[in-house]
Amino acid sequence: MRAPLQRFFSAYGMIGVLLALCVFFSTVTYTKQAASGLEAAEEIASRIPKGASVTLIGSDTAEDQGFTDLLIQALARRGMSQVKIVLGEPQDARRALAELAKSPEIHAVVRTEKASRWLVFEDVATEFPSLSDVPWIQPRSYFFPNFLKADNLLNIANQIAVIAIVAIGMTMVIIAGGIDLSVGSLIALSAVGIAVGLRDYGGGTAASSTAMVACGIAAVAVCGLAGAFSGFMVTRFAIPPFIVTLGMMLVSSGLAYTLAEGQSISAMPDSFTWLGRGTGFLGLPIAVLLMFALYVAAHLVMSQMRFGRYLYAVGGNVEAAALSGVPVKRVIALTYVISGLLAGLGGVLFASQLKSGSPTYGTMYELYVIAAAVVGGTSLSGGKGRMFGTLIGAFTIAVIQNGMNLTNVESYTQKVVLGLVILGAVLMDKTRQN
Amino acid sequence: MRSRILHLASLLGMVLTLLPGCGDERSTASRGTLGVSLLTLENPFFKIIGDHLAEEARARGFDVIIVSADKDVAKQSNQVKDFLIRKVDAIVLSPCDPKSIVPVIQEANRAGIPVFTVDIPCPDPAAKVVTQIATDNYGGGQEAARAMIEALGPAGGKVAILHLKQAQSCILRVKGFREVIEAHRAAGGSPIELVMELDGGGARDIGYRAAEDALQAHPDLRGIFAINDPSALGARAALEKANKQEQVKIIGFDGMKEGKQAIKEGKIYADPIQFPDRMGIEIVHAFEDWSKGRGIAPEILIPTRLYRQADGLADSSLD
Repeated sequence: MRAPLQRFFSAYGMIGVLLALCVFFSTVTYTKQAASGLEAAEEIASRIPKGASVTLIGSDTAEDQGFTDLLIQALARRGMSQVKIVLGEPQDARRALAELAKSPEIHAVVRTEKASRWLVFEDVATEFPSLSDVPWIQPRSYFFPNFLKADNLLNIANQIAVIAIVAIGMTMVIIAGGIDLSVGSLIALSAVGIAVGLRDYGGGTAASSTAMVACGIAAVAVCGLAGAFSGFMVTRFAIPPFIVTLGMMLVSSGLAYTLAEGQSISAMPDSFTWLGRGTGFLGLPIAVLLMFALYVAAHLVMSQMRFGRYLYAVGGNVEAAALSGVPVKRVIALTYVISGLLAGLGGVLFASQLKSGSPTYGTMYELYVIAAAVVGGTSLSGGKGRMFGTLIGAFTIAVIQNGMNLTNVESYTQKVVLGLVILGAVLMDKTRQN
Repeated sequence: MRSRILHLASLLGMVLTLLPGCGDERSTASRGTLGVSLLTLENPFFKIIGDHLAEEARARGFDVIIVSADKDVAKQSNQVKDFLIRKVDAIVLSPCDPKSIVPVIQEANRAGIPVFTVDIPCPDPAAKVVTQIATDNYGGGQEAARAMIEALGPAGGKVAILHLKQAQSCILRVKGFREVIEAHRAAGGSPIELVMELDGGGARDIGYRAAEDALQAHPDLRGIFAINDPSALGARAALEKANKQEQVKIIGFDGMKEGKQAIKEGKIYADPIQFPDRMGIEIVHAFEDWSKGRGIAPEILIPTRLYRQADGLADSSLD
């Protein structure tokens, strides 16, 4: 029992760090939350004095509407059916208060949690003195970490999906001994490409789903071609990948700006956001499902297929690999193609999430993507690395960023912390291996 | 095994010491929390908005979270999503991209959190914004044109514009500028010719290169209108290098400290200055008015004021 567990931890050492970070951020975001749902509605109904005329004030959100329905049912079960509902903005609440202040009956005012935070109620004592004896009823609160809320966990997965997907290709490139700096710009190129394609050829906001798929495939293919070109330069002319992909980074960024004329393009149909913002199986976002599916596929490629073994062989020792009959050049070139294709997919996802394409997308993403791979245990000198390690690395970065946003850490400090954590993670990995 | 735990502990220690003021509970005295994501905090303009917003908000009993989006709209939308998780009471944005930010504003709308914009408006009707506070950029551009006419005198001459076309505010500035110059010419005023419009990037280095190119194309250039102070100062450096600082007059925009200093020293002729401090303060008032249920205008434009050398000499905040 001990041995496999130990093997798991030594393979995925970062998972310990990730869990520790989760525990840490759960502790520091332990916050007051308002009760909701049927129980809260019942509890509120039980606190309302019998025979009072009830006014409910809330915001015009789906959440408050749902709560209102529950409360009406709970009150009806207690024989109270006279409920005045005011769902809207503080302005509507003020009007309702002015109305209430005129009639001298016994009131009870229920406020949803959202409404209870409006400042309009501060002035009740001075502006509507006749209401000062009215019981104000609102949901009880309890404590729960913001970090661990289901919404937030999905939020994290959604925020990292693009980086994680692009990091699959980067991990392959790095394992084969290369590096790809062009992915950030390719994300921008792909996002702009699909946006321009939809605007100019797909019919803009009225584009059909065929047009969307066609433009998406075209955008991804263009990035694949860019990757193929990088791969060709690296293998055919033996130019260092750092230089080749640096050039490609400038080329594709420049192309993206030219194509978009420096603007962001948002002529897309609403249904295009399905990919980036829709939900599928188990209510998980499509982007997250896609990310997990790609990781499983990549893991199988790396562990079960010849191509995966070739990658490790090439990255470990090029000459030995070449002598044992590995088609070294083809393998290396293919990693850049895959990296380009995945960056293209990332760009399409981005365009879908933000419902627009802009050449500014993906700035610095190459660094986050490389960081995800390296934090996940991929060795920059090639030959070593695991797909799920990279996924863990990507999540580590996302958790740190999200956690710091939730705990009020200034943006500058965030950069320092993130940098130190990346350094610390790599250092830990190094010492553990020795 | 033990060494790993040690490493882990030191790593966490590191993070802990770097997290100032963590812990999220709202103090009981707080009247609410404002989540603010500004375009960038590198530009002093937004820093001033942020600082005054924070000061005014704290004075009125609100908590404030200010983050910099570093001009990255994806980062900004993540910040807004994190604000929604934290259940802030209002979101203040200067959008990195008024189009791409729309879906996130809609998310805030669905959550019932009011959204305010500062400096950069989001004009898309699909995004519900309580109020948009910005400089009257169009009026400021007109003011800049009047300053240019004044600076060039009766001789007039060729004028280049250092643009930043990505920014809606700069498009308005240049529009106002062009209209007044053209009206001036049509009315038979001094012969001023707008010869070129270059991308000044809103930054010193790009403004420098653009001004150099403008001087190459038009050696007899008489004036440059730069849409902000950094690009104006970049242009000034190019003029000094070409030894044409006497021949070419610069009109900037913004009136940040370095810009005002340059006006005082005669390096820039004049700036329509903006009031980022007032923008920051107005946002807090706008939120309070909204939350108290008082009526509020959908747009609050803050006029610019022309700042010349004489203002600089009288300004005690400068060296």
